[in-house]
Amino acid sequence: MNLTLLLLPAIIMFIVSFLKNEKVKYLLAFTSFVILVPIIELFLVPKPYNVFGSYLIADKLDTYVLLVSSIVGIGVTLALLTLDKHVKVSPKAYRKFYRFFAIFWIGLIFSILSNHMGIYWIGLELATLSTVYMIKTNYTPAAHKEAWNYMIVGAIAVSLILFGVILMYASAKPILGEEAMQFDLLLAHAKEIPSPFLFEMGFAISTIGMFVKMGFFPMNLWLANIERASFYPVAALFSGILESAVVVGFFRFSKIAMEVNYNHLFIFVFVYTILTIFIVSFLIFRAKDFMRLFSLSGVEHMALIVIFWVSGAPFAALLHFGAHAFLKPALFLSTGVLESRGKYRIAGALRGYKGKRGQLFWILVSLFLLAIISLPPSPMFFSELYGFGAMISTAKESDHMLAMIGAILFLLALLSIIFYRFVSIYQSMKYEGKVEEKTVYASELFALVIFAVSLMALLLPASLSYLKSIA
Amino acid sequence: MVDFLIGLFLASLIVALFTTRLFRLLLWYSMNSLMLGILALSIGNSIDDKAMIITGIMTIVIKAIGIPFVLKNLSQKFHFVRQIIPEIKVQYAIMLVPAILVFTFYLSEPITHMIHTNANYVAISISSLFLSLLLMMEHKNVAPKIVGFLSMENALFLLGITATNGMPMLVELGIFFDLLMAIVVINLLFHKEELKV
Repeated sequence: MNLTLLLLPAIIMFIVSFLKNEKVKYLLAFTSFVILVPIIELFLVPKPYNVFGSYLIADKLDTYVLLVSSIVGIGVTLALLTLDKHVKVSPKAYRKFYRFFAIFWIGLIFSILSNHMGIYWIGLELATLSTVYMIKTNYTPAAHKEAWNYMIVGAIAVSLILFGVILMYASAKPILGEEAMQFDLLLAHAKEIPSPFLFEMGFAISTIGMFVKMGFFPMNLWLANIERASFYPVAALFSGILESAVVVGFFRFSKIAMEVNYNHLFIFVFVYTILTIFIVSFLIFRAKDFMRLFSLSGVEHMALIVIFWVSGAPFAALLHFGAHAFLKPALFLSTGVLESRGKYRIAGALRGYKGKRGQLFWILVSLFLLAIISLPPSPMFFSELYGFGAMISTAKESDHMLAMIGAILFLLALLSIIFYRFVSIYQSMKYEGKVEEKTVYASELFALVIFAVSLMALLLPASLSYLKSIA
Repeated sequence: MVDFLIGLFLASLIVALFTTRLFRLLLWYSMNSLMLGILALSIGNSIDDKAMIITGIMTIVIKAIGIPFVLKNLSQKFHFVRQIIPEIKVQYAIMLVPAILVFTFYLSEPITHMIHTNANYVAISISSLFLSLLLMMEHKNVAPKIVGFLSMENALFLLGITATNGMPMLVELGIFFDLLMAIVVINLLFHKEELKV
């Protein structure tokens, strides 16, 4: 019953996408809210809760990630209602976008809830493949090229994940048999794995696959180029749902890897993420359009989430993850309006809004822009405080304290470059350029309001204590 | 028998790297999948694993017959360029392929000590993965890149069979389903873009 309700909005969307009546899309905006019913139910039941045998199990982490990604799904469904008002899209492409969005959503619900490495991978692959066509709905040569790019690089990334999964499965199969695919059993028997080296090798390969998918070093620009070429809701889905599913996989794999050998995991992830942020910070400094700017900033935040998680600050990682999952889709969806007078016009993008809708829009976008660079009272401000605190504690306990403190200071210097760039862009958006009138539609504004309310809800004491209980 | 089949699996992939005609490439992909299917049948039969036998049959039907047939039809429908010259010259590729093989055997040496059944096959599946990546990299045309991606799936499948004596049936079916979905998406990607292929 619960699983059916979880999948219901996506199934309705899939069926409705075959109807040629254009008004029917308004129905989807209402049906997407249905997903909240089973999620609220999941919050109330004792966890871990078996959604579908031992294959799909909802624990506290899954339920939280599912809620966050579902809110993003609802927001995107609302914003999709006015897609044709901002970009040129044929009715056929529009319908196909909905069809593949539905498959994407189903795949990721399976991935997020999976307690099985195989099902996790299948869901992720399904989402990857459906994204390819969502990119292609923009009938331009650039989008066509990037759809192929995504098909190939995405397939390589997902194949690396499967390769690692097979090695991890092989390492634990002698003690667990076919059940070595299950995350909970692997975690419980992590210390008994007969060949830890094999497991670690599998974990490293899988992690590289996941990092490639999130745009980490050395594939820093591929995601930004794809998001630039495709319609803006695709970028919102990437940052809010796809990356959530990828990062939840990393959380699960790394929890087991921590039990196997924490030091190896920490050094590997620490070096990888610092390298990623080093490159991304300079790319952000050179970014000349909103989509690339937000996309690269997404890579930076995913790197921070990963580094906080392995530094022993899961609370900070989860808070940062939730805040990022609401802020980034909100910013991506607002680019539909911000770029309505030209793709590369940053100057004056926050000017020219009239009426109550317009006023509310620019205020919300300003707040989102300032929140993404962690200005208080953004949840990111608190998550970074906790996260860097945990990193310093880990550094104190390590044998290479000075090197690690140096690395943390280096990281802060890189973050300050990003901070400077965002502040400068905000000033240009608000105080420079010509005043040109821009139209804001009710549905997209409603989506932004939902994200803003969700963001504020993250800071409620009940939410914070829930996140602490996951950690 | 298993050694012989794995040898043929690797050989068909290496020959595919040097192929300059599209239909010949599809034939070598089909051979590669056929060897994999027979290998799954052979190992499944020896360890009496019915799931692996079913997987072997599905591999032969879907990968060795179905997918090459669909890709050949697609190439005719959308008028693919059938002459596919690799970007890497033959004299360099001849040196690169053994280098990859030696490197992957060296890379996977610590693993092979830990897997007692079919230990060297793990090394071969890793080398097949690298060779498939090379196939994707050495061509500018889209069709060989698709074959490279499908060969990569074969390499993963080989790893699944040899390193773990078969993955759970549910996962195998899921992988097949995803592969079919990939073919659907590839088909959609070609639509209305025939002049650019």
